[in-house]
Amino acid sequence: MDFSLTEEQEFFKKMITDTVDRMVVPKAQEIDHKDEFPLELWREFGKLGYLGLRYPEEIGGMNADPVTAMIFYEQIARGSVGFAQSVIMNILMGTYFVYRFGSEAIRERCLYPAMRAEKVATMCFTEDQSGSDLAATRTTAVKDGNEWVINGTKMWITNGPIADFATVLATTDRSLGNKGLNFFLVEKGTPGFSAGQVLDKLGCRGTITGELVFDNVRVPAENLLGEEMNKGVDYLGEILDEVRTMTGAMAMGIAQAAFDEGLEYARKRVAFGKPIGSYQLIRAKFADMATEMESSRLMVYYAAWRIKEKLSSRKEAAMAKMLATETCCKVVDEVTRIWGANGFAHEYNPQRHFRDARFLLYGGGTHEIIKDFLGRLIIGKS
Amino acid sequence: MDVVVLAKQVPDAEAAIEIRGEGAKLEIEPKFATSIFDEFALEEALRIRERHGGHVRVITLGAGKATEVLRTGIAMGADEALLLDNAAFLDGDGYSTALALSRAVAKAPWDIILCGKQAIDDDRGEVGPMVAQFLGFPHVGGIVKLDIGDGKAVAESLTEGGREVVEVLLPAVFTVQKGLNEPRVAPITGVMKAMKAQIPKMTPEDLGLSAQEVGLAGSKVRVKRYLPPKKRPPVKMIGGEAAEAAAEAARILAEVERVI
Amino acid sequence: METVLIFVETKGGEVKKASLELLSEGRKLAQTGRFKVEAAVLGPLPAALADKLLPYTETLVHIDDPLLEAYTPEAYAAALAGYAQEAKPKMILAGATQTGRDFLPRVAVLLGCGIVSDVTAVAWEDDPITCVRPIYGGKVLTEVSPLAYPVVVTTRPNTFAIAEPGSAPGSVVESRAGLNVGKMHTKVLRVEQKQKGKVDLTEADIIVSGGRGLKAAENFALVEELAAALGGTVGAARSVVDAGWRPQEDQVGKSGKTVSPKLYIAIGISGAIHHIMGMDTSKLVLAINRDPNAIIFQYANYGIVGDLFEVVPAMTAELKKRTGA
Repeated sequence: MDFSLTEEQEFFKKMITDTVDRMVVPKAQEIDHKDEFPLELWREFGKLGYLGLRYPEEIGGMNADPVTAMIFYEQIARGSVGFAQSVIMNILMGTYFVYRFGSEAIRERCLYPAMRAEKVATMCFTEDQSGSDLAATRTTAVKDGNEWVINGTKMWITNGPIADFATVLATTDRSLGNKGLNFFLVEKGTPGFSAGQVLDKLGCRGTITGELVFDNVRVPAENLLGEEMNKGVDYLGEILDEVRTMTGAMAMGIAQAAFDEGLEYARKRVAFGKPIGSYQLIRAKFADMATEMESSRLMVYYAAWRIKEKLSSRKEAAMAKMLATETCCKVVDEVTRIWGANGFAHEYNPQRHFRDARFLLYGGGTHEIIKDFLGRLIIGKS
Repeated sequence: MDVVVLAKQVPDAEAAIEIRGEGAKLEIEPKFATSIFDEFALEEALRIRERHGGHVRVITLGAGKATEVLRTGIAMGADEALLLDNAAFLDGDGYSTALALSRAVAKAPWDIILCGKQAIDDDRGEVGPMVAQFLGFPHVGGIVKLDIGDGKAVAESLTEGGREVVEVLLPAVFTVQKGLNEPRVAPITGVMKAMKAQIPKMTPEDLGLSAQEVGLAGSKVRVKRYLPPKKRPPVKMIGGEAAEAAAEAARILAEVERVI
Repeated sequence: METVLIFVETKGGEVKKASLELLSEGRKLAQTGRFKVEAAVLGPLPAALADKLLPYTETLVHIDDPLLEAYTPEAYAAALAGYAQEAKPKMILAGATQTGRDFLPRVAVLLGCGIVSDVTAVAWEDDPITCVRPIYGGKVLTEVSPLAYPVVVTTRPNTFAIAEPGSAPGSVVESRAGLNVGKMHTKVLRVEQKQKGKVDLTEADIIVSGGRGLKAAENFALVEELAAALGGTVGAARSVVDAGWRPQEDQVGKSGKTVSPKLYIAIGISGAIHHIMGMDTSKLVLAINRDPNAIIFQYANYGIVGDLFEVVPAMTAELKKRTGA
């Protein structure tokens, strides 16, 4: 079994690690403190072209395979989660369905500018009353002549309030439950489409997350993103595994950032005349963290590899997301303990990793849902 | 303008270094980076090409991960790369290393050679001037500004306590200092190109040299032993309020240590 | 009897410290009876300068040529190597100053011999000689020896002691370098001197350095005052150079200057490794920082944990009292 990255992937990793260190890491605390969209960084970073990571070279993308993409996701999250969330939304969820199903005109208006960081994209699923339970979606889309009329409110939308275009999950027939769900493209400026409340979040500050309101929003028929009606959930399934694995990769990035801080502190902080890293209990923490991170990372990249090889990955992606996230939450907790009182200060980084890590617990699927899914899969329908 | 950059892959500044075998060798954590002054050289080469047109070639002498320096160069925009990775080239002193590099440069026409003023592993600072001498051309050391004109260049260096501006005829070698420029971040198109690039290699024979003339075999001086630096005794903290501590420090410096 | 050729570097009519150090070592070598020492000055040699040098050396070789009027590496290397080809010294020594490190490698190529640069100790009695030089920014020391002679060695300032000048001064020997103007392609356009008499960091005996802890560019006045009270030179950490508070020339560190003064005072400097690499060979280090865990304390002989805005002016006042200033 060859667990190594190819020479190409190693080089890519080196370049993106270096780029993140130079451009993102120095701004991470400021992004978190200000909790404003880092427009200047977005533009500078956008110029490098990474927002086209997943899409074909023919349209200006990088055609990165899932494993290479994970390297990117991990590093950008290690730099700043507040920035990473916006970037990844543009790279993946916010643009995928536009890429997959949009007409050339739609691509020109939305996809290509998003790849160049000229436009901000978003994907809207979550509502006030529905997160994991997609069937309970209350945003409706009703056909009227040649147009769809969309009504509803979406909540917890990353990039939502600043988005130039949104892929909106709406139901065309509530009685069909999951099977009535479809994706619609709604662009900024469309009458009735507005940003609502912006959320004041515990972590991932710098990402603008909030409410989107659809009040009799009319969009042309071609804005239905899909080859067939009512296949929304199936289409979502096309990227679900990557989204979950990506969340796992982000978790590894955050864990790594925290771990590195913990390591530096353990080596230099002196107590009772010695660096605290020389005491057994601190050593034990690092042994545990390193072991769990190593296994989580392997799970994430294994799931990514399966996606790349087009093997079934539903189970592995779910496991990777859950395992990596739980590990990350443990690591950020341990590191703030290692830092003692300093782990409590806004001035230093560990508290930021501690807060940022929380979002992983539900982003990409709550662990309760995932465990139920895995349990059912393993035991079989009873 | 045909610009050649001599770049070196060195251990990362954070890499752990241990002396082993009673000083016979070093064990270094395998984390690598481009020697920082060489990054400025690479960036300057690209700027010269942007302003004057031409071609940028990057050459590295080194084994294993040394290709990364060249790929980084290509990612930033270099046109061509060359690797001297034959075992015979390795572990040379300034003399044999500069000899090999000068021959590699001479394989194609060149107007300007840029390299860091010293590599941050060996800290020798010999290769730049020696390459210039082997090729029989002038060099300007430690530049912080470079303006290329017609067949000549004006270079500015920081000297001890001031600045010096010289005009030199091309072709010439320039060793570069911090303050010359801010290296660019490679765009994804560059990264992609670099990932796929095939890096050509050369042997001593390709350079018209025998294995005895390069690397360790061709060295004129040799490292006999590695030693740890002298350790300072544990710090003595001077306590008390600011005024007390300050007075005590002054007393120690004057009467105890007698350095003032 | 072997010859040792010492390149003497001068600036503004003064002999550079590293050259005086080497001349002092040269005298010791001459006293063993095994060596004949020749000190070489390139370019103009005013009488006053010759007078300063003659007490230090038996033979002062004045190598002159119109092309040596101003320093260029090509001309100096050709001139020194040309002389060495006649005099056939066993060792060619020079200070590892910016100039020394710049042109002596060219001399080595011209003579087809080896060079050991930036040396911090030499065992002259060893055969072959053993030079000690730092690598990895000083994290490791190496013992280097030539495989054959002649060999070129450049030594770092503050490596050797400067002896008292002797009572029997030597004599000057004139030598024409005979440089070919057609082959020299460098023209010095302009030399700007910042402040006359400002001691360069690499040669300073006392350095007072400031870092981020000073909080603003204006606060460097505190560092300057302390340096003035001590007769020292002001240095700076990379962070404040990058922030534009101090010029690049003042930077101490891996990508700045490496210094080895008798006394180094680090004010508001955390002690990041790239800074340590630039000053760890200082004989005595005093660190002042408000953070008791600052890494700089691990590289200091003495430390004060406190508010530098109080400690530094207090020290300056104390020192002025002591010197009666």
